Formats: sequence, structure tokens, C-alpha cells
Amino acid sequence: MSPNATLYLALAFYAAGTIVALATLFARGRHAQHAGLALMIGGWVSHTIWIGTICARTGHPPLTNLPEAASFVAWTVFLAELVLFIRYRVHAASFFVYPLVLMLLTISAVVREPFAQMDPSLRSGLFTTHVLLSTVGVAALLVGLAFSTLAFVQDRALKSKHRGALWEWIPSLNVCRTLSYRTLAVGFSIYTLGILAGILWSYRTTSELIDLRVKQIGGVVAWILFAILLQSYISGVYRGPRTAVISACAFLATVIAILGIHRV
Amino acid sequence: MALILVGLNHRTAPIGVRERLSIADAQLPVMLTELKAIGGIDGASLLSTCNRVEAIVSASNEDVIDSIVKWLSERSGAHRTSLEKHLYVLRYEDVIKHLFRVASGLDSMVVGEPQIGGQVRAAFLIAQRCGSLDSLLERLFEGTMRVAKRVRTDTGIGEHAVSVPYAAVELARKIFGDLRGLQALLLGAGEIGELTAEHLNGFGLRQIFVANRSHESAQQLASRFNGQAIYFEGIDPYLATCDIVIASTAAPHYLIEPPQIERALAARRMRTLFLIDLSVPRNINPDVAKIDGAYLYNIDDLQQVADSNRELRREKAEKAETIVAREVENFRHRLVAQDAVPTILELQQRLESIRTAELEKTLRKLGPITAEQRESIEMLTTQMVNKILHYPILRLKDSEPHERESLRETIRKIFGLR
Repeated sequence: MSPNATLYLALAFYAAGTIVALATLFARGRHAQHAGLALMIGGWVSHTIWIGTICARTGHPPLTNLPEAASFVAWTVFLAELVLFIRYRVHAASFFVYPLVLMLLTISAVVREPFAQMDPSLRSGLFTTHVLLSTVGVAALLVGLAFSTLAFVQDRALKSKHRGALWEWIPSLNVCRTLSYRTLAVGFSIYTLGILAGILWSYRTTSELIDLRVKQIGGVVAWILFAILLQSYISGVYRGPRTAVISACAFLATVIAILGIHRV
Repeated sequence: MALILVGLNHRTAPIGVRERLSIADAQLPVMLTELKAIGGIDGASLLSTCNRVEAIVSASNEDVIDSIVKWLSERSGAHRTSLEKHLYVLRYEDVIKHLFRVASGLDSMVVGEPQIGGQVRAAFLIAQRCGSLDSLLERLFEGTMRVAKRVRTDTGIGEHAVSVPYAAVELARKIFGDLRGLQALLLGAGEIGELTAEHLNGFGLRQIFVANRSHESAQQLASRFNGQAIYFEGIDPYLATCDIVIASTAAPHYLIEPPQIERALAARRMRTLFLIDLSVPRNINPDVAKIDGAYLYNIDDLQQVADSNRELRREKAEKAETIVAREVENFRHRLVAQDAVPTILELQQRLESIRTAELEKTLRKLGPITAEQRESIEMLTTQMVNKILHYPILRLKDSEPHERESLRETIRKIFGLR
């Protein structure tokens, strides 16, 4: 069996899960939502096996190149979503998280270069720490953005007094904002530590603090935007549309940073 | 065995008739004993709510209907003929369907209302405690509660508020989630405002402040909620500390203007504020709705929410009817299968005893045979018996309720069962 079989299986599960979950926007069936979740969990199990295969074959975490990093971010994003779902039962986050997971894993499947051996110069604890923390941080920030989007949609629905298709699925505005704030705060802290570890590793290996390429610029811009977003939550000066614009830009910068990972 | 329901409800009888038949919970055990004492009734239960009074019985035949109507007429003190025009009589499958619909809230005055599920459950428990249920009614009530739960879980029919005060509660929960620990400010002593505050308070508000032009009225109203009366002129600091503001005064002008809310939100560090304006003319300037963090709903907005929820409930009711129809069919099949079990078992035992006896006779005649030969003969006779039994059992299980009794009798006669 091809080592990538589990990747394609995961992709098929994720695609089916996403379609089923999105269909509930129109059908409003709880069973369909649960079926979508079950499919996504099936995909995640398969995804886990694929990541495990990479680790076993290469002897390092699956973070060496774009497909591996995108796959690991997708894996972590779904794990975070699953944990939050079990704790808070927020169905609506699936409308944003599932397509995101599917999109990230599609990148892994399209850009085929997994199982690459790591450059010996990159085999350092500091580098691994940088990559792991950045990836987990980005995953948490993306989930935070999903909840921030839900809070925005809910805010608009309450303001306009017109319920949208998501009304029944979205929990209270307070829950959305609290979850968004918490995941953003946790993700931002981890991401910041990841960036610091990267700067330190870069300084140790090249005597430069930062190598300004697409992924680094995207990563730093995303960090600044997430900092503004978080600051607006902390100071309580969030504005619906303003928060939405910053969130969209932060998401874009994050995607650019991920796509910028061609080879580390 | 006949399953019968005799009763009346809000559609068939005016309140004057319903209240004469209504049975208080404390009276139910005595009434159940009386009902069960009617000749021919094997199991009895009574469902009495403000909208319906129904006697559900299992009996050996349908002759008991007349006795039940007589009993109802006697205890209500109404003439039998005048009562009969309000009564409906349901039989077997219709009883199952009716009870499933009632417990699911589909037969209620307000479709989907959740209280009826609890009332059906209470009726079941009282009848069970009194020992007035037979196995058929036990199974029926257990099935009813299972179906009602399924309908509510699968359709969410009772989730949406269909009155203005409840619509306000629904919106408050959509904004704050848990209402426990929140504070509310009630301006004025209007009836609908009071009702809304009462419903909100039911969800565990920490404190309700009441302000009214007449401080005495404010104090009286506050005491109802264990709240605190405040002076009308000093509401501004409370706008900053309260999460929900309900305005329901007769004032002909705005009492709350945007600058007051801006100041309050700044002091609240932008924590959300939900404003409910139930007054006509309005007491809260509509421009308040433009401020971020403030959600303003007036009486029309809330009425619209209630109306659209009613529409939503109607849609969900259609889905619920499909579930009920399917469950009635499933229940009926299970009931038939369970009813047929004793006859099937007896039939199997009868044929097995014939098979064993005849086999022993034949084996004695044959003399010594090998174990393999004996096993082959055993298998042959068992298969023959099974084939003979197959169609009678199948017909018994699949039979319609009205033909099952006669079918069972025929089978018993043909095969000589006791």
C-alpha cells in the first residue's frame, strides 16, 4: 500500500465531512451535523496515521516542508476544534474549521514532497521547538479566528434583527467572544514563543535575527495583526466590522506564511 | 384486546365544559380506581390538563366505551347528551398516534409547548403508582415518552419562544448565554415589562432594579422579584452595572438617549448591553441601536421574533408528524409481535412435543442405528416442523390489529392449543 494512501483517505473523509456539515446550513439536521463530525473524526484518525508514518520513516516531526507543515497545522486545527466541541458543543465552528482543514490537507496532497529527509543543519532542538510552537500557535489562532467570525456573524444578526442560516447553530455571543479571546490569547502566546525560538535559532546559525522571505514577512505581519486583534479584545474597544477586517487580514497573512514554507 | 381513548380537549370543548371534567392531581388515584372498576376494563389511565381530559383504557372489548361516557357524565354532573357532543372516542392505532402527538406537543394549543411532555409523564407515574396500568398501557406510555423525547431532540420544536416575553428571554440568552449572575433594570410598571422581568428572573438573574415614577409602586414591584427599588432620576449609574434594561413606562418621550448608553458602555468596558423597549410610544431612542455593544429591541421586533418562531415551529411540526407516523407504525409492529409471542411459543412447544414423541416411536421401530443416522433424522424432522410453523408465525406477527385476535383463535383451534 502506498504510504500516501492514508493521506488520500483522510482527504476523502474530510471532503465528505465538510460537504455534509455545510449541507446542514440548509437542512438544519442535527443528525447530519453529527454525521459530518463522525466523518471528520474518521479523516483525522487517518490523518494521524499518515503523520505517524512520516515520523517513522524520516525520524523527525512532519514539519520539514510545505505539505508536511500544512498537514500538521490542519491536524492541530481539527484537534483544537474537537476539544472545544466536546467542551462547548459549538456546531457552527465546523462551517469554518472543516473547510479550512480540508483546504490545508489539499495543499499537502497537491504539493507532493512529503517524506523528505531533514537537512542535517536543521537537526537542532531549537529549530524543532520553533517549528512546533509556531505551528501549534498558528492552529490555535486559526481556530480563534473561526470563533471570532462566529461572534461577528452573531453580532450582525442581532443588530440587523435578521437571523441568518447560522443563527440556530451559533451559541451565545458571549460564548463566541470568550472562546475567540481564549484561543487567540493561547495561540498568540505559543506563536510568539515560536517566533522567538526561530529568531534565536537564526541568530545562532547565521548570525542574523531574521531572514526576510515570504514566510517570515507573512508570519510577522500575522503576528502584528493578531496582536492588534487581541489588544482590542483586552481593552474592550472591539468594533464589529473593524475586528472582521483585521481578522480577515490576519487570516490572509497566515495563509501566505504557510504557503511561503517551500523548504525551510 | 381493545385500546380505547375517550376525552375532550380545547378544540372540542369550551373551558366551561373542560373545567367541570378537570381532575386535580390529588383526586387522580380515586378516579383511577373508579375507572378501573368499570367492568371489562383491564388497565386505566387519566390525563387531565387545563386543555384536555382523557381516559385511556385497555379493555377486553369496546362495550366499555358506553360505561366510560356514563362515568364521565356522572362525575361532571353534565347531561350525557350535552357532554357527548364534546367527546371524541379513539381506538387502537388512533390512540397510539394521538398520545404520541399529545406528548410531543403537536396537539397543544401552542404547538410544541414543552409542559405537556411532563404532564403525560406525571399521568403515567400516578397511574403506575396506583397500579391501574396493565402491560399494554405500560408499554404505550413508555413508548409515548420515548417518542416525545425523540421529537423534541430531533426537531427542536420547543426551542423557540412564541410570546413576546419569552422572545426577550430567548434573545437575552442568545446574547449572554447563561443569565445567572446578570443584573437587570426594569423601568416602569407596565404589565408586559413585569412579565418579561419575571421570565428573565426565572433564569437566575442576580438582581433586578426597579425604577418607576411612583417610588412606592417600584418598591412593591421590586419586592416581587426580591429586587431593589431605585429612583427614576438616578438610573444612569445602573445602566453601567445592569446587563439588561427593560423599559415599559407610559412616558410619552424617550427616557434613554444615545449619550447615556455610550457613557454606560464605556464604563462597562464595552460589555454588551441588551435593551428591551416594550413601551408605546417608545422610551428608548432608536439611535441607541447604532451603538456597538448595545442591542435594542422594541415591542414590534420582539413580536416579529415570536411570529417567525411560530412559523419555524410549524415547519418543525411537519417534520415531527413524520417522526410520529413512523413511530406509530414501529410501535404497532412491536406490540403485535409481543402480543403474538405467547401463542407462538405455545405453538412451537406443541409441535416440538409431537415431533419428539413421533421420533421416539419411529426410532424404537427402526432398531439400532448409528449416531449420524439419528442426527440426520433429527435434523429432517426439525426442519419440517420449522417449515410448517414459518407461515403461521409470520402471519401472526404481521397481522393487522383487527384481524389478529381471530387469526390467533384460528391457529389455536387448528393446532389444538389450550
